[in-house]
Parts: sequence; C-alpha cells; structure tokens
Amino acid sequence: MGEIIRVGSMLMLVAAIAAVALGYVNSVTSPIIAEQKEQAKLDAMIDVAGSLASGELMFDSLSVPDLANPYAEVDETLAVVSVNDSAGVELGYLFVAYGKGYSSTVQTMIAVNTAGTLTGNTVLYQQETPGLGANVSNPARFLYQFDGLNASSLLLSKDGGDLDAITGSTITSRAVTNSVRNGLDALSAAGIIPVSGGAQ
Amino acid sequence: MSIAQDFSRGIMRENPVFKQALGMCPFLAVTTSVENALGMGAAATFVLVFSNFLVSLFRKVIPSKVRIPSYIVIIATFVTLVDLLMNAYLPALHSSLGIFIPLIVVNCIILGRAEGFANKNKVLPSIADGIGMGLGFTLAMVIMATFREILGNGSWLGFNLLGESYQNQPMLIAILAPGAFILMAFILGFFNIMEKRKRGGAR
Repeated sequence: MGEIIRVGSMLMLVAAIAAVALGYVNSVTSPIIAEQKEQAKLDAMIDVAGSLASGELMFDSLSVPDLANPYAEVDETLAVVSVNDSAGVELGYLFVAYGKGYSSTVQTMIAVNTAGTLTGNTVLYQQETPGLGANVSNPARFLYQFDGLNASSLLLSKDGGDLDAITGSTITSRAVTNSVRNGLDALSAAGIIPVSGGAQ
Repeated sequence: MSIAQDFSRGIMRENPVFKQALGMCPFLAVTTSVENALGMGAAATFVLVFSNFLVSLFRKVIPSKVRIPSYIVIIATFVTLVDLLMNAYLPALHSSLGIFIPLIVVNCIILGRAEGFANKNKVLPSIADGIGMGLGFTLAMVIMATFREILGNGSWLGFNLLGESYQNQPMLIAILAPGAFILMAFILGFFNIMEKRKRGGAR
C-alpha cells in the first residue's frame, strides 16, 4: 500500500512539474504567437493588395448589411477589407476564403477589384498532403490560373470549367476553387461587386 | 563503450529505421519530399537529444514501476514546450518544421531510446546516442524521400530534375501511401541482402 502511494505520488510530481512548466510557457508565448499571426496576416494583405495597384494603399474594414457568410462553419463573419488608394478611391476588396480540403481547411486570401475580377491570392494556411495537395501553396502549380477570372469562370475542368487541378489533388483544388467562388458570390449578392454573367 | 561508439552506432550499425524498424509511421508518412524528410529528421533529432538528456538525468529519481508514463509525460511536455517557444521566437523555423513537431510525440524512436538506452546510461553517452540515432533516422528518411520525390514528382529537394513533361505525368504512386510501402520493402530488402553478404564474407 505504501509502495503504491510512494510510486503514485512520484508520478503525480512529474505530471505537476510538467503542468506548471507548460502553463507558464504558454502564458508567456501565447500573446507573442497571436501578435505574429496578426503580422503575418497583415503582410499577406499588403502582398495580395499589391496586385490591385502599386503605391500607397489604405485598408479599411468594410461593414455591409445583408452580407451572407458562406464560411459560417469556420468563421463568425465574412470580413471584407476594402483597398483604397491614397486619394481615397476604392480599388478593390480583400477577403479570406475557407475551403475544406483533404486534410485541412485551406485558407486563401483573395484580392478582387471593383469590377469583380480576381487580381491576386495567397494561401494563408493549409495542412494538405505534402507532395500532393500541399502544392497548392506554390502559386505556379494551381493558383496562377485564378488571376483575371470572375466568379462564373471559377470551375475545375472536371466540373465543367477551364481550371486544371493539381495532379492527384482534385479535392484540394476543388475546395479552394469553390470556396473562392462562394466568397465572390456572397460579395455580389450583397451588391459589393457586380454579378458576373454566365453559368452561375 | 566510448562516446564515439555511442554516437556512430545509430547511424548505420543500429540504424533506427533499417535495423530496429522503429519510427515507421513518420518514415512512411512524411517522406514525400526530401525537404520534409530533412525537416522531420531535424525536429526529431532535436527532441531525441533533449529527451535522452532529461531521462538520463532523472533515471535514478523516477521509480522503475512508473518509468514509462513518466517518460511519456516528459517527452510530451518537452515537445509542446519546443513547439510553443519555436512558434513565439523562431517563427520562420516554425513555419517549416511546425507541422512535424506534434508528430514527434508519437515517434517511437524517442521512447525506444529513452527506455533502451538513456535510463541505463550516464548523461553524456545518452546525448551522443540521441544525436547518432537522430542522424540515422534523418539519413533513412532522406534515402526514402529521394526515391519518392524523384519518381513521384520528378524533383529532388525542390529542384526540377526530370523536366516539365515528367512533372505533368509523374509516377504518382511513389508519392502516395502504397508507393511508400513498396519502396520500403525494396529498401529494407536491400539492407538485409547487404547484411547477409557481409556475414557470408566474414565466415
């Protein structure tokens, strides 16, 4: 009996030390990590918005009534940021599209101009299969095809459109394509960008 | 045994993957590209060295009856600490190695060396063993990833080797899970033949 208590309390001690160490380090690092995530997102915004126009750009969060949120499962609101030049003229919008891929939710930051044409994008987060779906992070493999398209032409060739999916990664390619199209559709339904003609 | 022998043993003679068949899960899962293999190898080596160090340091304090749960707590805590600290202070490194770190907790090489070596040996040999085993694991991963990346993607460490036309229609099975099992069988078979030849020669 005494043996069990001795051994058990030793194990409890190990676990207690581990818990204290983890709690302390977490409390120190979590604000830094959150700040870095913000910074990474801001860098991505500046990077993607550079496709709308060069020079000084101003960001402004846009609040739109009746904006449907196609990503309700993963984010509370569809946050749209408007991009203005230094004179205050609206050039386009940024938003983050969430698409459920093969093994993760792929987050893509999208820049769209006021006419509803895609101008730039970058993948913010993905944990797809390395060597297959993870290639979505390499713009030359898939996402380069998005520039210049509008919502009606965002379809994989397997689904009747013109976009070539990444070889062996149809699920990831389709997830990103459809998530971006759903985002654009939500923007046009709320009257932010014109409704694109055609298949939709 | 000298420190140098403790160090070199893991690289070839007792290579964790080829000879001990440990760490098969990450060996199959993340060898789709050489870059991933190097990342996983580096992260696992790092954790292996420190877990060997900690286990060896506390080997006399922890009662043998609860040593396995204690090692798991130590390893899991250490891995989580590395993950948090790296995320906060070395974000660039974390963005390339980050996805491998949670996988290390389930890498049985770490627990295997804690149980098989570090809890019976002094601190310095344990660290040497950790570095050696880590390098052996990295070497095995890179060998496997070399085959898989060249066959399945036409490239090595991201450099295009076999040209655009091959990359558009590669031998996709090599990068998918079945290809990993097939290639592993060939690699393990090769090492078994080498082993037999060597013994035959000595006789």
